[in-house]
Amino acid sequence: MMLEALEISKEYKRGDRPFFAVDGVSLSIDKGEFICIVGRSGSGKTTLLNMLTGLLTPDSGKIAFDGVAYDRLGDDELSLLRNTRLGYIMQGRGVLRNFTVLQNTILPRALFKRAEDPEAKAISLLDRVGIRHLADQLPARLSGGELRRVSIARALLSTPDLLIADEPTGDLDEETAAEILSLFRSVAEEGTGVLMVTHDLDATSLADRTLVMQSGRLRERA
Amino acid sequence: MYGRPHFIFSDIAVCNLKRSPFRTAGLISIVALLAFMLFGGSLISCSLFNGADGLAKRLGADILIVPKGYDQKIEGILLRGEPSAFFMDAAWLGKIAHFEGVRAVSPQLLIASLNASCCSMPVQLIGFDQETDFIVEPWIKTALPGRLSDGEIIIGGAISGGAGSKLEFFDREYTVVAKMENTGSGFDASVFMTMESARTAAEDFIARGGNLTLPDNAISALSIMLNEDSSPIGTTKAMNEHFGYGNSGIVVVPAKEIVSNVSGNLRALVTIIVALAAILWLLSILILAIAFSVILNERKREFGILRSLGATRRKLASLVFLESGIVSLFGGIAGVFLSALLILPFRTYIRDTINMPYMQPSVIALIGLTAGSLILSFVAGPIASLISSAKIRKSDIIDVVRDGEL
Ligand SMILES: Nc1ncnc2c1ncn2[C@@H]1O[C@H](COP(=O)(O)OP(=O)(O)OP(=O)(O)O)[C@@H](O)[C@H]1O
Ligand SMILES: [Mg+2]
Repeated sequence: MMLEALEISKEYKRGDRPFFAVDGVSLSIDKGEFICIVGRSGSGKTTLLNMLTGLLTPDSGKIAFDGVAYDRLGDDELSLLRNTRLGYIMQGRGVLRNFTVLQNTILPRALFKRAEDPEAKAISLLDRVGIRHLADQLPARLSGGELRRVSIARALLSTPDLLIADEPTGDLDEETAAEILSLFRSVAEEGTGVLMVTHDLDATSLADRTLVMQSGRLRERA
Repeated sequence: MYGRPHFIFSDIAVCNLKRSPFRTAGLISIVALLAFMLFGGSLISCSLFNGADGLAKRLGADILIVPKGYDQKIEGILLRGEPSAFFMDAAWLGKIAHFEGVRAVSPQLLIASLNASCCSMPVQLIGFDQETDFIVEPWIKTALPGRLSDGEIIIGGAISGGAGSKLEFFDREYTVVAKMENTGSGFDASVFMTMESARTAAEDFIARGGNLTLPDNAISALSIMLNEDSSPIGTTKAMNEHFGYGNSGIVVVPAKEIVSNVSGNLRALVTIIVALAAILWLLSILILAIAFSVILNERKREFGILRSLGATRRKLASLVFLESGIVSLFGGIAGVFLSALLILPFRTYIRDTINMPYMQPSVIALIGLTAGSLILSFVAGPIASLISSAKIRKSDIIDVVRDGEL
């Protein structure tokens, strides 16, 4: 198993009353697997993904990537893992307003330098998500769907082992959404694991498995 | 064709600064103001010290005697270069010479030239007696080969012209034989000549309708050097008692007092300037720290995104540090530059405004002041960013971005 979560929980307080946003969730994803998570708003999906990417520490339970537990990794190693092996497409607009589309796309390489020039790859990814012509634009000039696609291209830049996406097709039209989904499908076929939160029922038909999140608990869809 | 080929970590900082021009300009202005005050304050302090120092070195007299009512005028001549002319009877020379504790006495004749052809400013003509002089002579020895003849002059550092050139006072030509260094004191606007030349100048002035009465046998002031064991204050008192204070027609001025008064006032002033600079430095660090902290809050989303892409906390902290450093660099240079531009060319105006000997420091000292001001400004931003950096390194708040946070 590439990513494995065991009985992870996260407790938040609403007013004075504590509640579990994520409540004893276990989950594993393998290379090339395409998993969808569906669930109502507020059911804990984003909280779960934040823990799976190591940005948020669970109150209890264990998460391991390739057999290495997160709680044994320091900030540097966890960051490097996010930078090289995970691609996280966050909910909402994960684009920095001070950088052009192309700069946003190659941002991961500015954080950890690697030998090869990321630009050619970035351009071809922007092409694949259909916004190559916007490469030199600043985010302020882009539509919500275009911004979304910048995050998608960026998440794929390092050819991650695992792509984690939080409602990536939320503000896309049907046709573009279908293109993005088929991109994810082909990425999975090339060996990348895909874990996607979505409300799009068409998407779930492309997935190997679909899980349902409800009040912090995760279960297999019937 | 698609922007810069290599986009590296420091580009993130530069991009952030460039694309948030108002925020960046605001931060740079704070540092620039700091650098401006630091450099300006230290430059003015230094110049005041230099001025007082120059005057102290040049004024070899322990006591000055001038006609009654002219003690303010002699101060004006020494400190501010405000020319005057006044007279008393030369007989005082003999009376004073034998007074107890007096080692040497030398007379001077002071004539004011309000609009000399040479100069934009009024010039003080000082006739001195070469036989007895102990003030002027010591510091022109290096420049003057022999004795001064009638019609020859030595000019102060602020007067244009050099050895060999000619100056005209009241339609008579004088030959410059030596020029003194600038001191920042009133001596810079003075012209030194023999007693006879000074007398001739005064007669020329009167002949041209000048409003002046020159008594026969007149002198303007007496410079007195005391024996080692006589105190200026004590001797001043004794002279006043002996000659009858208030009705003798003269006033005895303990000259060193003028200088030490200046130094004392100056020390107080400089202490205030240094204290203000220190307060300003701390205050601007505080303001910057608050600004960075506010900015950090509004940048939570940006940092959250960078975190999700693999930025370590250390990297984010160094981003804030780097940005503050760049801001300080530009602010510091701009502030010092503006300050220099505003203060260096206007020394005469500043001197006239604060009415004290004022002498700008040498190039080397200026470089030192510049370096000091720049260093203090350069470190202000990074120091102020330490709190924000520490927050980034410690807390979880920036890790997770909630949608809608912008
Ligand atoms: N930092 C927090 N403090 C307190 N409560 C929180 C915090 N983060 C999330 N919650 C709560 O936890 C619950 C789960 O939030 P989460 O963002 O995971 O939901 P979600 O399933 O992603 O919803 P959506 O589909 O609307 O994005 C919500 O009720 C939310 O209000
Ligand atoms: Mg969510």
